[in-house]
Order: sequence, then structure tokens, then C-alpha cells
Amino acid sequence: MFNLLTAEKIKMRRSKKLWIALAILFILPIIQVINSQLTVHHGTELVQVIDTVINGATGILMMKKNGFTILLVLIVFISLFIGEEFQNGTIRNTLSLGRSRVHYYVSKFLAAAIFAFVGVLGMTVLGIASYTVVFGFGEVDGITNYIRYAIQSFSVLYLLILANVSIYVLISFLTKNSSISIVWSFLYTIATGFLPEIFQHTENFGHVTFWFTETFLFYFYFVSPADIAEIPRMIVVSIITIVLSSGLGILLFKRTDIK
Amino acid sequence: MAEIILKAANISKIYGKHKVLDNVSIKIKRGMIYGLIGENGAGKSTFMRAVMGLIAIDGGDIELFGETSTKGLQHARRKMGQSIEMPALYPDLSARENLQVQAANGGVGEREIADLLRLMNLEHTGKKKTKHFSLGMRQRLAIASTLITNPEFLILDEPTNGLDPSGIVEMRDMIQRLVTERGITVLLSSHLLDELSQIATHYGILHEGKIINELSKEDLARVARQYIEVETTEVEKAVVVLDEMGIQDYEVINGIEIHIYERLDEAAAINRALVFENVRVSRIGTTRQKLEDYFLQLTGGTKNV
Repeated sequence: MFNLLTAEKIKMRRSKKLWIALAILFILPIIQVINSQLTVHHGTELVQVIDTVINGATGILMMKKNGFTILLVLIVFISLFIGEEFQNGTIRNTLSLGRSRVHYYVSKFLAAAIFAFVGVLGMTVLGIASYTVVFGFGEVDGITNYIRYAIQSFSVLYLLILANVSIYVLISFLTKNSSISIVWSFLYTIATGFLPEIFQHTENFGHVTFWFTETFLFYFYFVSPADIAEIPRMIVVSIITIVLSSGLGILLFKRTDIK
Repeated sequence: MAEIILKAANISKIYGKHKVLDNVSIKIKRGMIYGLIGENGAGKSTFMRAVMGLIAIDGGDIELFGETSTKGLQHARRKMGQSIEMPALYPDLSARENLQVQAANGGVGEREIADLLRLMNLEHTGKKKTKHFSLGMRQRLAIASTLITNPEFLILDEPTNGLDPSGIVEMRDMIQRLVTERGITVLLSSHLLDELSQIATHYGILHEGKIINELSKEDLARVARQYIEVETTEVEKAVVVLDEMGIQDYEVINGIEIHIYERLDEAAAINRALVFENVRVSRIGTTRQKLEDYFLQLTGGTKNV
């Protein structure tokens, strides 16, 4: 497993796609702080529920503010990162050495998870720093222990993102083609991200939407006590998503013929 | 007795209703260069993939280095290298970086990289990305990549595919060198028997998923033996002359052609005798049966060859 991760490190270090993806995630908070500053400059006050990040302290919620963008970047990166192994035939080089398919799948998931972590960590740090410079650090309304809140909300938001990473990895291994994977991953994200708003108005489907991590990522604000009370459920749903999708992915990948 | 490296017994693979491999059995001993010959779509690449564990088989058994269990096979495959179909490389990485990735995959050090790049004449490629390499360079790099883990058994699927004549000669020499210098056993495929005959020591002819013949180099030499080809419109008269000369090993091919398989250095004397007996000879000369003709004769067709 360690050998496979070393190989991933070599590939990723030289990958232009990785640097482009990270650049997008890192530049985003800078653009947003400029945008917020212009908004305030024109006389509109920033509102936490609408703008999510309004000062340095709320910068910890950069993942929430940019949830959809992060997912789009991850879709493209993961689809290319895994799909090209099938398309270039390089997956044969690894598997024909007798490497376990479980290890191969897990190494890809871990590489994607590490990439996502570096991306969202950088984005959050830059978000906190840039908003602090422009608007001051300030505070999060109703939060007394900020460090605890920051660690908790960052971890949960990352876990919600990780659940999606797991789904995208599954789709990439199933489709074995980067373009098709991008399309299916995008459709999954749109469906689970935007349909809950409609379904939540119905009695039968309202609760079903809580089985998808996008519901929490897109429709919860992570500051009100009611939202914070949902954190255990977010953790459970994320973990179940990761375990089920990875389990299914590994099972199907073990049966896949490599052309 | 040489150790058996690969023993494939009754391997079958079915895609939908199509049986791509039909009870294929092959034995490869250490030191052999086993050439797998077949038309496009005969099942060569599928067989190689099955040996490498890339596809699941629907029937049969594979034994590698004496191992048959799933774990054992997985372990045995660490002693193998493969380049199946097109060279599988990372297009955005340099030659060195591609080898670094494969070294990491195999859990081996990077000490051999410089030597392998030199061996494959790729030492001057520097930071050039492999997407800018010629096909010949990519083929050589793919083989270097298979060698990074010091394999004992190499599987090469059509390694000369798409190469120009000098590239083909270069590739052939390189495989020969690997066998003599490193003692590697090789399974390679081609759809050209003539090309394989210049390198392989043993041959398996795969046709529509079945092994229809297995030959050694000596068997093939016999098949492709030399003969004197006589072209005449008076075959019956010519046969009488040949009998009088005591020539027994000959074959009347058709109404105008006789093949004589003995006294190959006496073509002039035979010609003189035929002319002396007023047999009109339109052509006489020494020639060799084309291997491709033999292959077509076996497979009974002309498609895709």
C-alpha cells in the first residue's frame, strides 16, 4: 500500500491538473474577499446566513461557502486522475505486478482524500487570513469556544466533502473513462444537491434527502444551534456513504476485466 | 529438466456468446522465447491478460512459477513484466519519471533506472515528456518499465507493432539481448509468423481462440525448408527424368510446378538433365516456403494476416 501511495505521490507532484485544481481552490477566497469588500464598499452589509463568511472567524466555513465549486473541482480532478489510468492502460502496469486490487482502490481513494484535504485546508486558511485582513477576525454569533467550534465544523465539512470524494472514486472506477465519469459525477451532484430543495416540501421524500451529504453541505449553515445539533447525523451519514460506496467500488473493481 | 514458468491448462474466456479463448493450453519452460502467433482477434492479448491476472477466466488453470493459489499467483506475478498492446505510459511524465512510478509500484529502488535508460537508448531524453516520444521510443520505454522490477518472465504483446523496419530490427535485437544477458523467459505475440521466426524458440499458433499447432524452432525450420522449384508445362516428362536421376523427395504441386527437396546445390545439373531429355523448363531455382503461406495453410484463410 505504501509503495502504491509513493507512486501516486510521484504522479501527482508532476501533474499539471493537480496544480490547476489547487490554484482554483486557493484563488477562490481571495476573489471572494475582494467581492465582499466591493459589496460593503457599495453600502450593502454582509449577512452571515446569506454570505456565510463575513469575517476572519467565519472564514472557517469557506468549505460551506464554496461547497458546489469544491465538488466540481473534485469531480474533474478525480475523474481525470482515475479515468486516465484506464484510458492510458497504466493500470495494467500496477495490477500485473500482482498488486492487490483492494490496495489499488484504497490508494486511489486516499490520494484523492489527501488532495481534497490539502485543497480545502488551503482554501480555509486563505479565507480566514484574507477576511481577517479586510474585515477583522471578529467572532461567530453564539459561539463561545471558537477553537472547538472551528475544529468541529472544519472536520464535519471535510467529512461531508470526503463522502462525495468516495462517490466520485466509485463512479470513476465503474465508468473507467474520465469523460463519462465527469458526466455521471456531475449528474449525481446536481441530483443530490438540488433535488432535496424540492423533495423537502413533500412528506414522503423529505427524510430521504438526509441520506445524502449534499443536503447538509448545501442547506445547513453550521452556526445555528439547530444546525450544530445535526452534526452527529452528518458524521453518521458521511461514514455510511464512505463505507458503502468504497465497499461497493472495491467489490465491483475486483470483478472488473482490465482491457 | 528446465523449470516450468507458465503452465496454462484449458484456459477459456467468454465474452457474451463469443468464446474468445477455447481450452488454450501452453507450457513455457525457463529460457524459452515462446511466440504466440495469430490473426488479429485470435485471442493473443486476451490470453496474455488472463496470465497477468487482468481478466477473470471462465475455465482452466494457470500455474506460474509453480504457484496456483490466488495468493501464490499474485506473488509469482511480481517476478513478471508485461507490455500488452500499446505502450502504457504516463504521457505527461518523462522517461525517468515513468520508470520511477513503476519502481514505486513494484516496491524496488531506483538504482537501475539510469542503466535501463542507457540499455534502451533513452538516456538523452531528459525532461522530454513521453507524449512527445516516437512510437519506437515509447515501445522501448515500456519494455524498460517492465524490466525495472527485474522480472524473470516477460510478456510482450506485439512489441514491433507500428515500428519501422529499423525499429523492428532494434526491438528484436533488444529482446534477444535480454534473453542472453539477463536469462529472461519471454512470451511474445505477433500476427506475423515470419517476424517471430527470427527470434522465438517455440511457437504456438492461436486461431479463433484455440491453439491449433505448437512447434519448436526445429519443427519450423523443417516446415520452412528450402527446395528447388521447377516450372514446366511437361510435368509428367520431368517426373520421369527426376526418377531416373534417383531423386525421391519431390512434390508435384500442380500442372506446372514441382518442388524438389533434396540435392539443393544441384539445380544446374537437374536443369541440364531436363533439357537433355527435351523437357521445356520455363524456370528453375532454389527457394524457401514462406512461413506466412504455412500459417495460412494451417488457419485456412487469408483474413487479417
